[in-house]
Amino acid sequence: MSIRILVVDDEPDFIETMVKRFTFRKMPVTAAPSGIAALKLLEAEPFDVVIMDVRMPGKDGIETLKEIKKRYPLTEVIMLTGHASVESGMRGMSLGAYDYVLKPVDFDELLEKVRKAHERKLLNEGRNAPR
Amino acid sequence: MKAETPRADPASAAGEPASPPAGKNRPLWLHLVGLPGVTAVAVLSAMVLPIPLAVILALFTASLAAWSAAALASRIRTSEQERCSLDAQLVQSQKLAAIGEMSAGIAHEINNPMAIIAQESDWMTHLMSQPQVTPENLAELRDSLAEIVRQVDRCKAITHNLLNFSRKMDPILQQEHLERIMEDMVLLVEKEAKLQGVSIVRDYDPELAAIQTDVPLLRQVVLNLLLNAFQAIPGQGTITVSTRPAGADRVAIAVADTGAGILPENMSKIFNPFFTTKPPGVGTGLGLSMCHGIVDRLGGAITVESEPGRGAKFTVTLPR
Repeated sequence: MSIRILVVDDEPDFIETMVKRFTFRKMPVTAAPSGIAALKLLEAEPFDVVIMDVRMPGKDGIETLKEIKKRYPLTEVIMLTGHASVESGMRGMSLGAYDYVLKPVDFDELLEKVRKAHERKLLNEGRNAPR
Repeated sequence: MKAETPRADPASAAGEPASPPAGKNRPLWLHLVGLPGVTAVAVLSAMVLPIPLAVILALFTASLAAWSAAALASRIRTSEQERCSLDAQLVQSQKLAAIGEMSAGIAHEINNPMAIIAQESDWMTHLMSQPQVTPENLAELRDSLAEIVRQVDRCKAITHNLLNFSRKMDPILQQEHLERIMEDMVLLVEKEAKLQGVSIVRDYDPELAAIQTDVPLLRQVVLNLLLNAFQAIPGQGTITVSTRPAGADRVAIAVADTGAGILPENMSKIFNPFFTTKPPGVGTGLGLSMCHGIVDRLGGAITVESEPGRGAKFTVTLPR
């Protein structure tokens, strides 16, 4: 089954590479250039896994993560960061991020994380279903 | 704790074998002085008494010794049980305190909308008791009703969140390698640590199979322990992260630092919420208590060893 992926980053080059690589693997991927844009997209259609940069102008990754987890608690978010800040990592993880990954990240590893995050979402949905 | 005044025990004076509850209160000197005394008397008298009498005396002394040993053993067992139940009670009372704190918060949250609902329905009752319902009154009734609906929604949101919260408390178990869980957190801390002259040594067991655990929750624990270790090192130093099997059905993660270590008097408080030795503003005192809570939910245990001045080592054992 395919995983609906949303990539959020203000860096066009990064987005382009990501979209290319996921598309090459026949995985549906959508891109958003900012946190606000990502939230708008999420409002319109559901996504399974969000890959999001921490540092973005406007609404930053942590704020957007908080909003995503509040509105769509089952959507899993993998945070990417260019600058290692332990404090922001702590915040991200305690807000419910699936992982907090230092850039640059090996694509195959990222793919594995996306699969694991999706598996978690399915498990979570399975548990919530009988209610 | 209640201090018992020394008193004469009629049962022990009469030399009867005491029933277990009474034996608990019997003074210890009876065993420490009484038994050797009786033995000494028996040995001395055996020298002068005829053989049959000496044998009877020996048998009596031996049975007295056996009884004394049994009584002491049962006393140790009882105090052990008491200690266990005290520990359990302590955990229970801490839980109750946390629940109490949370319910106070919930009560406050729900009381506000309740107050508004009460006020609005009072006003509605007043309006409806008027002999005639004027158009203005009708508009006011509508307003009040809308306000009540709004406040009920607010209450609903609160209880809904609570349900989500309690559901979120259950870990979601996934098969994953410890190394894959920990490495991202290690990399994150490593970059910042390197700038301050703190290096991280990885000592992962390559043979260790994947375990069933809640991946992001465990990541939080690892990140917290790493940050703690990093903050405990004043200048240059080393943090060592390791994974090991711990028996047939458990694994252990350890985070050790070469930092300041933990003072013996702080060891028992280290996992308490709001306990911190860091200056105000640096730590909330919630990190380790949160780790403790998460590890508990994952079915594991967290322990700490430390020699002041020579660093500390936190070990998390988890089911496979």
